[in-house]
Amino acid sequence: MAARWRYLLSEVGIGLRRNLLMTLATVVTVTVSLALLGAGLLVQRQVNKARDLFYDQVEVSIYLDDSITEEQRASLERDLNENPEVESVFYESKEQAYQNFREIFADDPNLLESVTPDILPASFRVSLVDPENFAVVASQYQGYPGVEQVSDQREVLDRFFRVMDAFRNGALAIALLQLVAAAALISNTIRITAFARREQTGIMKLVGATNWYIRLPFVLEGIVAGVVGALIAGGLLLLAESTLVTRLRDEISFMPFITTGEVVATIPILVLIGAVIASIASFISLRRFLSV
Amino acid sequence: MIRLDNVTKTYKNSVVALKDVSLEIAKGEFVFLVGPSGSGKSTFIKLLLKDEDPDSGEIFVAGKRLNRMKSWRIPALRREIGCVFQDFKLLENKTVHENVAFALEVIGKPRPVIQRTVPEVLELVGLGSKADAYPHELSGGEQQRVSIARAFVNRPRILLCDEPTGNLDPTTSVGIMKLLDRINRTGTTVVMATHDQHIVDSMRRRVVELSDGIMVRDQHRGVYGYGS
Repeated sequence: MAARWRYLLSEVGIGLRRNLLMTLATVVTVTVSLALLGAGLLVQRQVNKARDLFYDQVEVSIYLDDSITEEQRASLERDLNENPEVESVFYESKEQAYQNFREIFADDPNLLESVTPDILPASFRVSLVDPENFAVVASQYQGYPGVEQVSDQREVLDRFFRVMDAFRNGALAIALLQLVAAAALISNTIRITAFARREQTGIMKLVGATNWYIRLPFVLEGIVAGVVGALIAGGLLLLAESTLVTRLRDEISFMPFITTGEVVATIPILVLIGAVIASIASFISLRRFLSV
Repeated sequence: MIRLDNVTKTYKNSVVALKDVSLEIAKGEFVFLVGPSGSGKSTFIKLLLKDEDPDSGEIFVAGKRLNRMKSWRIPALRREIGCVFQDFKLLENKTVHENVAFALEVIGKPRPVIQRTVPEVLELVGLGSKADAYPHELSGGEQQRVSIARAFVNRPRILLCDEPTGNLDPTTSVGIMKLLDRINRTGTTVVMATHDQHIVDSMRRRVVELSDGIMVRDQHRGVYGYGS
């Protein structure tokens, strides 16, 4: 067994060194593709996190017309309290709205000066049992007497999420293209190696080496390139996490961000994908160029 | 050890390489396979190695039936057969020792076995002192000896030689033939395809002659040809 492993390792080493440039190109392509793939997966995870948070906190804001009567207001509140979709109702008066506004824009005296308590509308802040039913609840109260507007917080969020989704899809699409390129490069590298070693493989077949034994160095060579690329990609993702996300985390404290642990958890996935792509590419090209 | 029953082989370009050949070679025999180029000698050897499959007929080698043999069993068949070629087929970047050891390494022999057997077989072929030389540093005859050592190191039951002296001068060829004769005396069945009339005539062994794929002669203690 020791002789086998020694042979295998030395063959893999020789093969990788012989086509150093080709190997580098392969590793770089695998790295880029898997880094993008990993980034896509992490963005997806990040979007899900943000979506969960935001959607859970989504409130239906029912802004009241200034001309609303006390009766209309009371009947609306009663209605809201009886609605099974509604979890809780909070009434924000014009005065409270103004206080909140002052707090939020405390840094901006110009803006504060231009706003007086009477221009901000009073509102009901309604949190829902199931935030997914936002549209249903919103439409129920849209035409209610004394209701000026039912705000659509989700529409704003959805726009944000659409941008994130587009980013993720773009990353995944490029990753896919790159993976195809990586597979082609691996296959090409193996073809070159197979050609360079055709005498050797010929002799191996002649003396009765098993097909597996003949194939293995080539396949391993591909897998080494795939795995190394995947590990570098994982390193790049960790680097990105430790610089970019850490900074964002400080700036946007209310947002839950992906953790280092989650980035680390994607690395095995990338390694697996890298190894699988490499083995598939190896097998395909071996069938064609080694006829074993 | 080797048996062919009505074996016919036609290549895709409808060249008939072997036609209805039946032949039995017993264990320990030494058989010359003679005939002009294109008479089917190489096809014969390829069929025994299951490098090619016959169109019809049955082939048995070392107790194994080659027809419909599963491809994963082919390596086991080839470990029973040593092969020597006209062009030696040595790996230029490996030393004599490494070339011979390679044949054992790739079939998974343990290292101690390799370390023990390779010097033995190099001694047998008379190259004990050239173990660390590279093929390009050797003469043609020496290279062929390395190739024979590699073919024989795993103690195959059959040695197939395809024009082993084709690239060598007569004196060197005699040395190679002595070596093959010695290997044959250990009980190894030797089948040698050759053009070399002088060698065939001087050895006086069984001669099988092929002509356009047809076996035209099977003669014990034969010579190269009637007419020559």
